[in-house]
Amino acid sequence: MDLGFFAQYLINGLVQGITYALVAVGFTLFFGVLDVIKFSHGDVLMLGAFTALAVFLGLDQLASPAWLSLIIMLCIGILAMGLLGALLCKFLVLPLKESPPLNTLLITLMFGSVIREAVRLFFPNGSNPKPFPALLPEASINWGNLNLRLDSVILIITGALAIVVTHLLIQKTRIGLAIRAVAQDEETARLMGIDFKKTVLVTFALGSGLAALSGISTGLYYQEINFSMGLMLGVIGFSAAVVGGLGSIYGAIVGGLLFAFLQTLGAIWFSVPAYKDVFAFAVIIILMAWRPTGLLADRSAERV
Amino acid sequence: MATNRVVGRPFCGTRVITMPDFKTKLAILLGVALSVVVLYGFLYLEREWEIGALLVMVPLGVYFLRRTNALTYYQHAAREMPRFTWISFVLGAVVLIMLLRHDDFALLMLTTVLLYATVSLGLTIQFGFVGVVNFSAVAFFGIGAYSMAALNQHFVFLPDLLIIFFSGAISALLGALLILPILRTRGHYAALITIAFGILFRTFLEVNDVLGGPQGLKVPALEMFGWNFGNSFPSEMGGGSFYVAYAIVALVLVAIVYLITRLIESSWLGLNMDSVRLDEVASAAFGINGPRWKIAAFMLGNCFAGLAGAVYAAMYGFIAPANFNLSDSLLLVSIVLLGGIGNAVAVIPAAFLIVVLPEKFQVIQEYRLLLFGIVVILILRFRPSGLMPRGLRQYFAGRFG
Amino acid sequence: MIKFQCMSRLWVLSVLCLFLTSCGEDSETIKITFIGPLTGGVSAGGLGGRNSADLAITLRNQAPDAKYKYELVSLDDECKPNVGVQVATKAAANKAIVAGVTHYCSAVAMGTVDVYHKFGLPVIVWGAVLPDITYGNDYLEIHRVNGTMINQNTVAAEFMIAQNFSSWSVIHDTTDYGKGHFKYFERALSESGGTILGTFGVNPDQQDFTAELTKIKALNPEVIYFGGLAPTGVRIRSQMNKLGMTQVFQGTSGIVSDAFIDGVGNLSEGVLAFREGAPTEKLPGGKMFMKAYEARNFNEPAEAYGAFAFAATNLIIDVIEQVGPDRKLIRDMLNETRGHESIVGPVTFDGNGQNTIAVITKYVIQDSEWVVWEDSEYASGKRFLK
Repeated sequence: MDLGFFAQYLINGLVQGITYALVAVGFTLFFGVLDVIKFSHGDVLMLGAFTALAVFLGLDQLASPAWLSLIIMLCIGILAMGLLGALLCKFLVLPLKESPPLNTLLITLMFGSVIREAVRLFFPNGSNPKPFPALLPEASINWGNLNLRLDSVILIITGALAIVVTHLLIQKTRIGLAIRAVAQDEETARLMGIDFKKTVLVTFALGSGLAALSGISTGLYYQEINFSMGLMLGVIGFSAAVVGGLGSIYGAIVGGLLFAFLQTLGAIWFSVPAYKDVFAFAVIIILMAWRPTGLLADRSAERV
Repeated sequence: MATNRVVGRPFCGTRVITMPDFKTKLAILLGVALSVVVLYGFLYLEREWEIGALLVMVPLGVYFLRRTNALTYYQHAAREMPRFTWISFVLGAVVLIMLLRHDDFALLMLTTVLLYATVSLGLTIQFGFVGVVNFSAVAFFGIGAYSMAALNQHFVFLPDLLIIFFSGAISALLGALLILPILRTRGHYAALITIAFGILFRTFLEVNDVLGGPQGLKVPALEMFGWNFGNSFPSEMGGGSFYVAYAIVALVLVAIVYLITRLIESSWLGLNMDSVRLDEVASAAFGINGPRWKIAAFMLGNCFAGLAGAVYAAMYGFIAPANFNLSDSLLLVSIVLLGGIGNAVAVIPAAFLIVVLPEKFQVIQEYRLLLFGIVVILILRFRPSGLMPRGLRQYFAGRFG
Repeated sequence: MIKFQCMSRLWVLSVLCLFLTSCGEDSETIKITFIGPLTGGVSAGGLGGRNSADLAITLRNQAPDAKYKYELVSLDDECKPNVGVQVATKAAANKAIVAGVTHYCSAVAMGTVDVYHKFGLPVIVWGAVLPDITYGNDYLEIHRVNGTMINQNTVAAEFMIAQNFSSWSVIHDTTDYGKGHFKYFERALSESGGTILGTFGVNPDQQDFTAELTKIKALNPEVIYFGGLAPTGVRIRSQMNKLGMTQVFQGTSGIVSDAFIDGVGNLSEGVLAFREGAPTEKLPGGKMFMKAYEARNFNEPAEAYGAFAFAATNLIIDVIEQVGPDRKLIRDMLNETRGHESIVGPVTFDGNGQNTIAVITKYVIQDSEWVVWEDSEYASGKRFLK
């Protein structure tokens, strides 16, 4: 294959992979502290993007410069979704802690569909795709067949940075320590004087904030958002987190990149690219049979 | 019935409320009658305010029943006479079908509910008893439906009853592909495998033209016992929609599947399955072969889904890949969770809620899925373990207490 | 406790009331059903159609010379065949409903035609374009005002060849809509002498198309043909820009909507698409329709097929005014429709109930607006495609 095209596939795959990884990190975090799957994650991502868009439309009338708009959009989008994540946790997830874990899945799933329907109905003309402003510099370089755009590079770096920061937050700070403690053993963590509820809420806020970030970067990259964009992203993010190994941030990154790689490969190989999802998911099933607890999760002996 | 002893024993244990037989029977019949009336109303009512009123009335009614201890009393009565309860519920369903015999749409919905309940019973065995999650129920349902269509097309000589059984078998066999990964994984990891399979199934059908592709396939009406199910009942038989026949087939199917589920639950099979779910390692220490039970439950559950899918395809007369989405699988899972995981009886009211409620919300048109989501969230929030959580296994038979 | 008993009696009483009042009583207005997707991914098209049908009903109810009062019963098929069969049964089994304006999604329409036939409900399809809906059966109940994808693609292929394009790459979604369009476009193109360099069937839910587009970039066609609906089209057109691709983007009727232009923004300039029916804005009735639609302040725009839903509803009402609210009479009268004036041009049903005078209009986007090709600056040579 021509080197230019090869590099083009690589860059496209990398942007996608980072987006998947950001979503997967959220799943991994929630699973770590509470052993639950929050199925509304994809829809929170979508809502984050729409919130940012609404903020932009508001700022547009005040004629604020692009970089300022972008910063305000990011701040409000991430904060709002963080808050939503914490509220969701407080009112829908924690009260169900004692009931079967699948019920948490169902309630968050329904919450996700409520968000989706609400955006469709109450965002002006929300059932149609919305253009997302191109706020990043659009300069591009052509090397042969490679068209490398500055915004793609910025998005890859931002995404990677966000994951690194999350990692540092968990490894180096006090609240990170609390999160890790809760993830290891809730009872012991409580005994040590860790505020369990607060820790869980913070984790949910963190994960949901990351979802908002990936929603906004998806919007910036594709310059288009729609109310159902979270569906597939949620499922793929979940798959990435599981394949990588739930509870491990590295696993989420590996899973995200792997999924994007599989999809790109599928699109290149098959004459009908729609098979790429069949391909990616089939590989995932095989991988799971080979490594039942994910690629990177700790394979400690089961507690008896 | 030879199985009498097995069915009877586990239900019989109660915390000793001695009731004279006729009073017990009366209580059971009253309960059945009340259910029939409520369901009839649920299927019959149409207008906005009626449905709104219903939404307020039913929870209130349940609340009153609780306050007066009627529900507890009823549960005891039902445990006292399991066979009588079971039979009177089937009869109640027949009465309901007869009441609705001219109302095609209500019958269609009722039959859909019964078929969804059949699939959900399969799921109950899978993750209620043995603890194997399955998020691709609709894929197995779809395999059954497509088997029905394909067998009907290519093997015309096969009788339809046999085709229905084959569809169930094919569904179970294709599910066997997933056994290895499912046995090796657990929890959310196993969930991912079935989610992946569900997506894979749908995309494959859509891209591939062999089975009709995205345009879908027509499925001819069933023909059994010399009766073509596409025909309405002639007036000398009292008249009635052609859906009556489907409703009866679905009722027979759900009754048999329910009976099998209860038989499993109440026998040593269920005891083994429960132990595998609760602690696989400990049960292995007692010589229980975990993988064997998982395989058995997984295949049986998928077989139920396939059977229901076959009848569904014939009744709807048309199937297309767009019917079998991940979201439909999740809907089926919702039925089991909303009812209360592992409780076979709960599946039926839950299926009613999940299938009929969005339909009833048609009056509010584009807002209906929003409202449906909110209603389910509220139910789960206030009944976190589902509407009717599974009770503890009754260890002592009879009236020991 | 007394209070409690009192309350429970009240409850029983109100349940009884509920049942008693729900029996009996049926209004004397004539009911027509509208079925389309009101929720889910393609609900924009469905809501536009619903509003247009609703508009036709209200306008007629306001008219002084109308014999009857009409009521629209709108149902949501979610663009899913099984839900479609459910609601179709609901409508068709209801004797009070005398006719229907049904379906935007082809797979749904394919599933429901049998239901309408079985229950004898005459319907007019207002949006679904698969030929088999009318031609795959000989049911008297099924009619369609919009043309099929065959007509559309024949015109599209001939027109594009006349513009001196010769090589295409095709992206189509794998639903019946996209796949069907591809099939008929390929057929028409091979007759007119164009070549297709590569075909890519994609999932309509897919977000990222950069891998497919990179492949197309390597093939380097002159035109990218897209068979699918607006949401997917928006994504593909936007992402072409990501890869620095400047090929002409040619769509099908599914993207002829304001949503496409809104979604794509400035990149929409020079996008081509084809749609059945005369251009609404150029017919006298069409102007009236657009004005009336505007005046009602609906939350959603009418979209590409709103005019067809309006025309279908009006046609049904006209027939009812003539023969009265009887399904059989309506069905037979509809089958005799010849040259009926409507806002999408004259309607004539052939033996299969298909509107044969299917004018195909060519559209191009000029300054963020769908403009009929003949009126555009592209046709007059002021602007150039590409």
